[in-house]
Amino acid sequence: MDFAMIAQAAAQTFTLYNIALIFGGLLIGMVIGCIPGLSVTLGIILMLPLTYGMSDPASAIILMLAVYVGGMYGGSISAITLNTPGTNSAIATTFDGYPLARKGKVKKALDVSLFASTFGGLFSALLLLLCAQLITKAVSKFTSVEYFALGIMGISLIAGVSGESLPKALISGMMGLLMACIGMDTVTGVSRYSFGSSILRYGIDILPAMIALIALMQVVDKLREFKLSGGKIKDANKIDHDGMSGKETKRILPACLKSSAIASILGAMPGVGGGVAQFMCYNEVRRSSKHPEEFGKGCLEGIAAAESSNNAVVGSAMIPLLTLGIPGDGVTALLLGAFMLHGITPGPTMFTKQGVMAYTIILGCLVANIFLYPIGKALTRAVAKVIQVRYTYLACAIIMFCFAGAFAASGHYKELILTASILILSYILTLLDIDNTPLLLGMILEPIMEKYFVSASMAYDRDYTIFVRRPISLVILIITVVMVFSMMRVNRRVNRLNAEQEAAMAAEHAQMGGEVDATLAQARVASDPDSSATESYADAVFEKEHIKVPPEKSADND
Amino acid sequence: MKFKIRTNLVSGIIMGLFSGFMLIVMPKQVRVPAYDSGAPSPRIIPGICLVVILLCSIILIIQSLVFKKEKYVVFDWENEKPAILLIALMCLYVFLIIKIGFILASAIIFIIVLFYCGERKPFIYIFTIALAVGIYFLFSRVFHVSLPAGPFFGG
Repeated sequence: MDFAMIAQAAAQTFTLYNIALIFGGLLIGMVIGCIPGLSVTLGIILMLPLTYGMSDPASAIILMLAVYVGGMYGGSISAITLNTPGTNSAIATTFDGYPLARKGKVKKALDVSLFASTFGGLFSALLLLLCAQLITKAVSKFTSVEYFALGIMGISLIAGVSGESLPKALISGMMGLLMACIGMDTVTGVSRYSFGSSILRYGIDILPAMIALIALMQVVDKLREFKLSGGKIKDANKIDHDGMSGKETKRILPACLKSSAIASILGAMPGVGGGVAQFMCYNEVRRSSKHPEEFGKGCLEGIAAAESSNNAVVGSAMIPLLTLGIPGDGVTALLLGAFMLHGITPGPTMFTKQGVMAYTIILGCLVANIFLYPIGKALTRAVAKVIQVRYTYLACAIIMFCFAGAFAASGHYKELILTASILILSYILTLLDIDNTPLLLGMILEPIMEKYFVSASMAYDRDYTIFVRRPISLVILIITVVMVFSMMRVNRRVNRLNAEQEAAMAAEHAQMGGEVDATLAQARVASDPDSSATESYADAVFEKEHIKVPPEKSADND
Repeated sequence: MKFKIRTNLVSGIIMGLFSGFMLIVMPKQVRVPAYDSGAPSPRIIPGICLVVILLCSIILIIQSLVFKKEKYVVFDWENEKPAILLIALMCLYVFLIIKIGFILASAIIFIIVLFYCGERKPFIYIFTIALAVGIYFLFSRVFHVSLPAGPFFGG
C-alpha cells in the first residue's frame, strides 16, 4: 500500500465538508432504500445533478457511495417493519426479519440488521483498501488493447447475467453502445446517425439516459401500482425499545464474518450484485449453522447473513470498478457513469495518475460504513416513518427533480426531449421483455471502449487482429466467453433456487399467520375467562395486528 | 383488452428491421472522413453493434418459429393504462416546460397526475406546487442552473 498517498487522501477525506456529505448521503440513502419500489440506483441518480457544482470530484463520489451504503441498510428497514424489501438486495432480510418483527422484536431485528450491515460494509471496504493496489500492480502492463478487451468483458458479463435470454441482453447492450455512438465522433469529427437533427448532433448524454431508464421507469411503475391499488398503504410494525444484547452480538459475529467473506468474493466478480449474494450467503450460513431449523422463524443469524452480505457487496463491487474500470452491476455501472461525468476514468492508471483521489474514494467508503452505525442507531426510528408517507408526495418530487436534473446536464432543452424519448423506448423494451441494464452499461462503457479501440488501432496501424494476437487480450476474451456461459448457467440455477426459497419462505410465513388465526379463534371460543386464556387472547390479538401479507417480489432494478 | 406478446418473435422482427434500416442508411449517416488521419473508420463500432443486433434478432426469430421457444408477456390494458398515461403526461410535461416554463408546467401536470391518482385533499396540491417553486429556486440559486422560466416569469 502506498502510505504517503493514503495519508494525503485521509487529509482530504476528513474535511468537515466531506463528513457532512457522508452524513447527508447516508440519511438520504436510508430514506430512499427503505421505500419499497425506490432503489439505491434511483438515490444515486438523484444525487448526480447535485454533484455538478462540486469542485472536488472525490466529494461527489463519496456522497454517492454514502447513498449506496445507506440505501443497502435502508432496504432492511421496510423488509423488517413492513415485510416488503425496500430494495432487491433486502429480500433475504424478510425471511427472518419479518418473523422476528411479528414476535414484537422489531428493534432487535433492526439492531441486528444495522450491526451486520456495518460489519459487512467495513469488511469489504478494508478488503478494497488492501486489494486495490495489488490488483492495480498486477494489471499495470495492460495497454489499450487489453483495456478494450476488458470493456468487452464488462458488457458481455452484464449481458450474460441479466435476463433469461442472451440474445435479448446482447441486443440491449449493443443498443446502448449504438446510442452512445450517436452524434459527433470525437476522433474523426464525423457526425454519426444524427439524421440532421440538432437534438442528436451532440450525442446523447449519459445523465438523461440514466434518469429515464432507471429513475423515471421506477416512478412510473410505482405510481401505476399506487393507482391500481387505490392508494392503500400497508401498516408498518411499530418499533419497540428492546434492542440487541452483547451476548447476541457475539452470537451473530460468525454469521457476519462468513457472510461478509462470501459476499466480498461474489461482489468482486463482475455481474454478481447484492441481489444474488444475499441468497448464497443466507443459504451457506443456514447450512453451516448448528440450528438450521430456526432459520426463517426470526433467527438473528439469518438477518445477519442477509444484511452483512448486501453491504459487503458495496465495497467489493468497487474493486473491479476502481482497478479495472469494469462495473459489477447496475449500481456500479451508474457509479462509473458518475465517475465519467466528473472526468475520472477508473482503471489501473487511476492509482498512478489520480492515486490520492482513488484512496480518498476508498477511505470515504470506509468512513461511510463506520458512520452508518451511529446514524442508523439514532435515525432508524425517524426514517421508518417515511414508509407511511403517501407515495404521491414523493413521486411528484422525484419526477420534477429528475427532469430538472436532466436539464442541468447541459442546460439545453434537448436533454428534456431525449429524457422523454428514452422513457418511451424503455417502456417498449419492458413490453418486449428486454432488460435495460445492459443498455445503460453499453452507453456508459462506449466512450471508454471506443477510446481504447482507437488508440489500439492507431498504435498497431489498424491491425484489428491485435485484439486476439496479444496474449493477455486473448486470455481476457476467452475468459469472457467461458464466464458468460458458465455464469448464465450458474445464474439460472441460483435464480431457480432463490425463487424456490422465496416461495417456501412465503408459504412458511403464511402458515405462521394461519397458526395465529387458529390461536385467535381458539381464544375467542374459550369461554373460561381465566387469566391464561385472556393472556393468550391478548398475545394472539397482538400477533394478529402484526401480521403482514407474504413478501412481494420487488421489481426494482439494483 | 388483453393479449399476449410473443416477445422473442416481436423483438426479433422489430430489432431486425431496425438494425437492417440503420445498416442501409449507414453510408449516408456515417460518412468516411475526407482525409486519412490513421484513425479507424467511424463506422466500425456502430457497424459491429448493428450486425450483432441483426444476428441476435435472427436468432430470436429462429428460436420462436423453429424451436418454439417463446417468452410471453401479457399486455393487459387495464394494467398498462396508468403507465402509458403517465408516460404520455411526462412527454406533455416536457413540451410544457419548453413552452411555458418549469413552474407552470409542473403545476399543470402534477395537478393532473395527483387527480388521476385519486388525491382529493387540497394540501397535497398546494405542497406539490410549492415544491415546484422550491426546486426551481434550488436549481437557479444553489446549483446555478436556470430552468426554463417561461414567458410569465421573464424567461
